[in-house]
This record gives sequence, C-alpha cells and structure tokens, in this order.
Amino acid sequence: MLTLNQVSRRYGGATALDGVDFVVPENTYMALLGASGAGKTTLLRLIAGFEEPDQGTISLHGERIDGQPSHLRDIGFVFQNFALFPHLTVAENVAFGLRHRAHAPLTNETEIKDRTEAALELVGLTGFGHRGVSAISGGQRQRVALARTLVCEPRIVLLDEPLGALDANLRSRMCDELKAIRERLGVSFLHVTGSETEALTMGDQVAVLANGRIMQSDAPDMLFSHPGNAEAARHLNAWNIFDASLCNHDLGQGPIAVRFDQIDVSDPGAAPTERPALHATYLTGEFNGPTALSFFRAADGTLLQVVDHLSQPRLPDLVEGQGYDLHFAADALRQFHGAA
Amino acid sequence: MESRILRPTLALYTVLFLLFLYGPMIVLTILSFQSADGGPQFPIREWSVYWYEHLLGFAETSRVSQLPVGDSLLRSIVLAFMTTVVSTVLGVMSAEAFRTRFKGSGPAFYLIILGMMVPGVLVGLGMALLSNTLGIARAWWGTSFVLHVVYTYPFAFLVMLAIFNRFDRTVEEASLSLGVSPAQTFRRVTFPIIFPGVLSAMLFSFTLSYDEFARTLFTAGRDLTLPLAIYGTFSVEIYPNIFAFGVLTTLFSFTLLVIYGLLMKRFTSKASRYSGQEDA
Repeated sequence: MLTLNQVSRRYGGATALDGVDFVVPENTYMALLGASGAGKTTLLRLIAGFEEPDQGTISLHGERIDGQPSHLRDIGFVFQNFALFPHLTVAENVAFGLRHRAHAPLTNETEIKDRTEAALELVGLTGFGHRGVSAISGGQRQRVALARTLVCEPRIVLLDEPLGALDANLRSRMCDELKAIRERLGVSFLHVTGSETEALTMGDQVAVLANGRIMQSDAPDMLFSHPGNAEAARHLNAWNIFDASLCNHDLGQGPIAVRFDQIDVSDPGAAPTERPALHATYLTGEFNGPTALSFFRAADGTLLQVVDHLSQPRLPDLVEGQGYDLHFAADALRQFHGAA
Repeated sequence: MESRILRPTLALYTVLFLLFLYGPMIVLTILSFQSADGGPQFPIREWSVYWYEHLLGFAETSRVSQLPVGDSLLRSIVLAFMTTVVSTVLGVMSAEAFRTRFKGSGPAFYLIILGMMVPGVLVGLGMALLSNTLGIARAWWGTSFVLHVVYTYPFAFLVMLAIFNRFDRTVEEASLSLGVSPAQTFRRVTFPIIFPGVLSAMLFSFTLSYDEFARTLFTAGRDLTLPLAIYGTFSVEIYPNIFAFGVLTTLFSFTLLVIYGLLMKRFTSKASRYSGQEDA
C-alpha cells in the first residue's frame, strides 16, 4: 500500500502540489486523472524519488520512502517517452535492471536470459530480443518499457501517460493488455493520464488531481455518476456546471452540475413545469459519430453542452442564435456545498 | 529564376574560397616533391621523393642537415595525449556538474571559458614569470602541460555541455528506477550515450594541443615541442624537407580524423543496426 500524507511541492513561487493525501491500495489499478500542468507527473516523480517533496511523507507498506535514493525504493516507472536505452537491444534493455541493480543483481546468464524471455513473452514480444530499440514500432517500445520495469518485480509500478505517444487504435488495445498484465502479476499500478475515458476504462479506482490536491478518489462508476465536487465533475468531461440561480426553480445557491445526457431541450416556455429549466441560446452543434454535441450559452455566459445519441434522438431541430429552454429531472442534478 | 543566377555564383564563390583556404597547403605539397638540388620555390626542377627520404634518414648525407624533429615530434604527441586525457575528463565532469544549477555556476562557467579567451602570449608570459618567481623549472611536461590543459579544457567542456543539453535525462531516471546505482547508471547508460561527444572533445583537445605555439613558446623550457622545432628551423634556412614534413603531419592529422569518423559512424549506427530485419 502506497500512502501519501500532506505532500507538497513548490517550484519557486508556483505550487505544484498542495498537501496531497492519497492512498493506492494493494493489488489495484489506480488511475490518476488530471489536466496537463495539474502536477500529475510531479506526483509520480516524488514517489519515484527523482524529486523530493517540500513537505509531507510518502510511505510504501508502512515504511517511509521519501528521502531514500530512488534506486533503493524498488518502484517501477514507465515513462511517457518510454526512455529506452538507445545503445542496447530489446533483450539488453529488459535484462538491464536484473544485471546491474545495486541490490541482489543476477550473475547467472541463463537465469537472466530466462527471465528476460519470460518478461518479453508477458508483453507479447517473444522473438524480438535481438532487435535494436530504434527498429521497433511505438507500441512495441511501450511494451519493452513495460517488460523492462516488470521483470524487476517492483513493489508498485508508476505509469506516466504511458499511452500518450500511441495512436488511438493501439491505445485501446494497450489499455486491455495493461489491465490483463496487471491482474496476472497482482502488483499495484498507478497510471497517470489526462484522458477521462482512459482513466475510467483502466482504473479499478480513479482519483482526480486538481489545484494541487486529490479532489476525489473512487470507483469509476461511482465517480462518474456521483462526483463529489465541481472540480471532479469538470474533469469527467460529462457534466455541465452552472450556477443554481440560473434555474427557474429554487435550487439554492452555488454551483450545480447536470450531466450532458440528462438535459432535454424545448422551445421557450414549452418545458414541463415540474422540471427545473433555464434559458440558453443555441450556439452550434458538433457531430461525433455515434453522438452529437450541442452547445448553448446561458444568460450569465456559461457554456452548456447537451449530448444526443443518434439511435435515440430527443432534441428538436435547433436554429443557431435562437433561445431555448433547457430542462432536466430534479433528481439528475448534483449540488456541491462549500467552495468549489 | 533567382536560383539560376544565385546558385552558380555562390558555388563559384565557395570554390574560390576553398582554393584560397587550401592554397598554401597545395603549394606546400607540390614543393615537397622537389628534386635534391632544388630549393623551396618554383619551378620544380624534377619530381622526386628525395626530401621525404631525407627527412626519414634514408638519403645519403647531404649538405642539408636532417630536420631535428624526431624528439620534438614524440614530445608533442605525448603532450597532446596527456592534455587530451586530462581535458576530456575535466570537461565531462564539469559539464555533468553544470547540468544542475549550483551556487556560483555563473562565475564558474566564465572562469572556465576564460582559459580559451585570454591571449596565449599573455598567459605564456605570465606562466613563465610565475615559474621563475616560484623557482619551478619550465618544461613541456610541466608548465606547458598546465597551460595546454587550461587552453583545451574549455573546448572539451563546451562540447560536452552541448551534448548534455540534448541529453534525455529520463533514460538515467529509468535506470535508477530499475534499482541501478547512480555510478553504474553513469557507466552503463550515460557514458555510452555521450561517447560520440567525448570523442569530439578528445579530437578538439588533441589537435589544439598538438600545434599550440604561443603558450608553449614561453613555457617549454629547453626541450622543444614540434611547432617550436619547426619554427626554429624555419627562421634559419628553408629546404623542401620541411614541406615534406608538413605533408606527413597533415596526413597524420587526417588519419586521426578518419579514425574519429569511423569510431563515430560505428557508434551512432549501432542503435539501428537491426533495421534490416523487420520480419523476424
């Protein structure tokens, strides 16, 4: 179990992390979702020991690891750019840790060879060992990076946007494979990403990092249907967040959130009276294949989105620049208390 | 339209420039094949390799004494080699230090660079005076050696600084995350990757030291290095044997360059040597 307690990190005047409390349980695929610049990478670098926190403690299995040199922490790291050793072959890359690590390096060549081959088999690269790392594709490089880390059997594996450099097809395939590999090994993965789909697909648990803190850490379906605060909701890219006073019903004060797919549209005045509604101007639509997005601007300038599934269209024909009533079921909204 | 005039003009200019650049060397090469009774000027009386034989001691005794370059050549090579090793090691180490900002890194940078900026005559003179004051004998392996290092070290440092500038730090972090100690990481990851740069730094240091003149002139003491020895004969009397020697040393430098090129090629192509086996 990896535990971060009040971890802070500042760069000059800028605060990257501001008192992060975070737990990665045993045998879990933890996805960490955050916008670019939110401090995701910083968090991983602190855990791996490439940087040290200004405040707070980091412990693994109850033992404090902050302050320890990174090569003694026994934590695997998969880099966004893979960071393969360019002067070594695939097999040499994978065997590197076994052969040269400070703690209990292997000297038996047969054993090194066996474990290297087993690791390459695990990631589906049997027979690629003799190749140079510049002679393989991006997806294969990603697997080499993974095999190189896993072969050392780290206590936890940190993945820094590991799919960021891959194209969309490969990404979805690697998603499944990463999950399967993790389940086979039973080690915890901490996977950092900026994509909400990736986080929700991959994670047994998903944590949202924003403003230098963990906003919420929950099971993916829980997080998606019940975001605990406006920041978490915003990162899911599925919730409209607007001020409660825009609605005709008395919904109290402060920001409320309604999911893109739970808002209906009718002509002004035609909204059912039992449903809360607000007036907004239709801006434009965006066709995404199986779904279509419509954009509206509310009276106070807030941008609202409504998603329509092509198989079950429920929106009227919309004219750009015209006003409409947007309404939703009273139980569809989420209200956030306190500071958002 | 533009390139129809511009390109040939630029090409011609480049050719003329190169001719101008290498003119002295071409003249020197031609004159080195002068016959035994010819002097260091045109016309060539008869083509021969006499002066090469004379230089290497194969010719029968003649009125011209043999060029006293044997010992000085050896000294220069040894000195250049010593300088290369020390400067490159220092250059790599300090460039590595400059990868992280440390207190006083700004002034330290300029102090290092100063070594190649200050006029050689002045440092040479200063070193000569200092060694006199301190009572240290001047020698090519002592006082000159120190100045050669001061002179070539900034070049090695700058080369390595440029290399580290493009260096992807994450491969080192990857190595650390695999449990490999910082020392082993340098040996197994950093050094192999920066090695082409180290070769360049070595080449710089060697060639700069090999024909250094001003600093050596004041500090070499009794035993002369090659540039000093050649200058010594040059100021007395000139025979084509010195041209023959010039050609040979140029060939030697070319050999170094070729070795450098081969090593470089071998090293940089290593990463992609399996590119032909895509369907294994």
